[in-house]
Amino acid sequence: MSNLLSSMMTPAFFFSIIRITSPILFATLGAVIVEKAGISNIGLEGIMMISALFGSLGAYYTSSWIVGLLVALAVGVLVAVIMSLFAFQLKTDIILVGIAINMIGSGGTLFLVKVITNLTEGKPLSSTTSLITKTLQIPTVNIPIIRSIPVLGKIISGHSLLTYVAFLMVFVVWVILYKTSLGLNLRSVGENPNAASSVGVSVTKVRYIAMGLSGLMAGFGGAFMSMSYAMGWSQDMVAGRGFIALAAQAMSAEPLGSMFATILFGFAQAFGIKLSSIGFDSNLASPIPYIITIVGLVIFAITKRSKEAKRLAAVGAAAEKEKEA
Amino acid sequence: MKKLIAMLLVLMMSFSLVACGGSESSSDEGSSEGGDEGGKVYNVCYLVNGNLGDKSFFDSCKAGLDTLEEDGRITCRTIEMGGTDEDKPTWLSTLYEVTEAGEYDLIICGTYQMPDYLKEVAEQNPDQKYLIFDDNTYVGECDNVVNMTYKQNDLGYLMGVFAASMTTDTTVENINEDAVIGFVGGVDSPVINDFLYGYITGAQSVNPDIKVDTRYTNDYVDTAIAKEYGGSMINDNKCDIIWGVAGNAGNGAAEAALENGGCWFLGVDSDQELTFSEDLAAITLTSGLKNIGNSMIWFFDEWDAGNEYWGTEVNLGIAEGGVGLVTDKNYDKIASDEIKAAVQAAQDGILNGEIEVPSALSDNDGAMALRDSVHP
Repeated sequence: MSNLLSSMMTPAFFFSIIRITSPILFATLGAVIVEKAGISNIGLEGIMMISALFGSLGAYYTSSWIVGLLVALAVGVLVAVIMSLFAFQLKTDIILVGIAINMIGSGGTLFLVKVITNLTEGKPLSSTTSLITKTLQIPTVNIPIIRSIPVLGKIISGHSLLTYVAFLMVFVVWVILYKTSLGLNLRSVGENPNAASSVGVSVTKVRYIAMGLSGLMAGFGGAFMSMSYAMGWSQDMVAGRGFIALAAQAMSAEPLGSMFATILFGFAQAFGIKLSSIGFDSNLASPIPYIITIVGLVIFAITKRSKEAKRLAAVGAAAEKEKEA
Repeated sequence: MKKLIAMLLVLMMSFSLVACGGSESSSDEGSSEGGDEGGKVYNVCYLVNGNLGDKSFFDSCKAGLDTLEEDGRITCRTIEMGGTDEDKPTWLSTLYEVTEAGEYDLIICGTYQMPDYLKEVAEQNPDQKYLIFDDNTYVGECDNVVNMTYKQNDLGYLMGVFAASMTTDTTVENINEDAVIGFVGGVDSPVINDFLYGYITGAQSVNPDIKVDTRYTNDYVDTAIAKEYGGSMINDNKCDIIWGVAGNAGNGAAEAALENGGCWFLGVDSDQELTFSEDLAAITLTSGLKNIGNSMIWFFDEWDAGNEYWGTEVNLGIAEGGVGLVTDKNYDKIASDEIKAAVQAAQDGILNGEIEVPSALSDNDGAMALRDSVHP
């Protein structure tokens, strides 16, 4: 046990929490934005997989990670807009569209990588790892002054460029949602689309923008997976992170709160890995993040319910008073 | 939601019902008995369900068949059927075509993608002989098909001997003095543990006190989590050699070795130094190979000697040349002569029966107990 504690009290442990958190944080922010606009985008997982593939291929074919990243983002937005087209224009249930995108994210990317690269001959699992060298990866950043601070430097400095972008995005998304007219429109569409349209807000347009932004976030997440976390795309590599993001969003609908929910998940996964390092059975260690997610959701639901009950009681009491008066 | 699930189920069922039909056709004169004293020249057809140039199973098999052909023992026609989804429908029709041609003594195909097609054709053409490598889905169901598989525990043993010898050789770059090696497995299953069982026994034969850090990614796809596991093995337990046996996820361990430094990676199945990009190839010491080509030569040797295996599974190990290490490139450059000799000795030991490698396929509990006892 002391073994476990000492290995947890290392910069490497906190470093890995931040790294595990980053891709999920992107997707979580994507989920927060659409949820504010009253849409459930369960296709984040699929968008991440598609972006991951195109980011890695883009970097390979242009020999530039910057182009690769831009391709990943563009594809993320494009897929989200296509989803919106089906959901808002053609009136398909958004959940079904999300399921379809998730299936395409798994099987469709495999198909595409075969057609585009012919890499997967006779192999049960395909990947673009063989194409990707270190220079095609998104670079890591050593922050000048912070890196020389003893412990903190090792935790905060040296991450992928996108990790810093992820945490910056928490602030950016908050600004968009609460300090811009777009954010106001977006939230009003989410609260009450009829009211929003009665004052001249184009509900469809706002929904498209919300979906586009969530696609952008998922695009970042996908790029992080294939161009920073791992070298190159491989099938199903997102491995449920898009769904974890939905759970994190459900715990707190706000950018900052959902960031903490995501960090909790990152901590749980890093903790599971530490447990396995002292010989704890990996079969028991790997579900820890999911168990913590479920526990978190339950706690969240209970507190929400008691708050709701208190609010209703207060409203009822106020009504009583008014009657008496 | 219920409706949706019902729809999906119906879809799946209708898929599984397709392919129950099929035409009744049989070639009466399948294989003509030559059997002269000079040894029969077999006419072989090799169906590649992909394209050559994969630097892996297909090329390996082709190399073995080429050797046989050069020695005048077979004549071989190779058909590349292509591996895209559009090509898949032609796999079955090509199988039918070459079967109905009736001119081949043996039709060879391989990989996990072929057994369903092969079963359908083989059942209808009992006189035609078939061989499928690296698959044992339908062993024994067709009397005219031989399934060829490869002993991963033998392979694991060699890798273990090699890794355990290397991990204390501090003259080599990236190697620390601790006798700790790592293993990243896909899932905690008998097949993966078979690799592991051999790996640990091999390592212990070199150094009885060796520690083997075993982690399972619990899938074959999450490269990122494998990278986290790899990082933890390197930073927490000072692993300096990690063997990745977890499909694509295993590559994550290689990436961890590259990023953290101070660690080497060992590949599996095919020569991963060839299939990786240069950065990852540079930190890959060797790979545990399934030698499809050697197994082809072994098979024709046996056939000539009158040993036939139709309708059974042949499990090839070191004795048959079915498995082995990659010994050129990094292995040749980096491993010392002593270590090469130790690996060679282990190989000879298994060959002449002095060393018997336990198998997790028959004793998974033993493998798990051993695994837990050597964890650092």
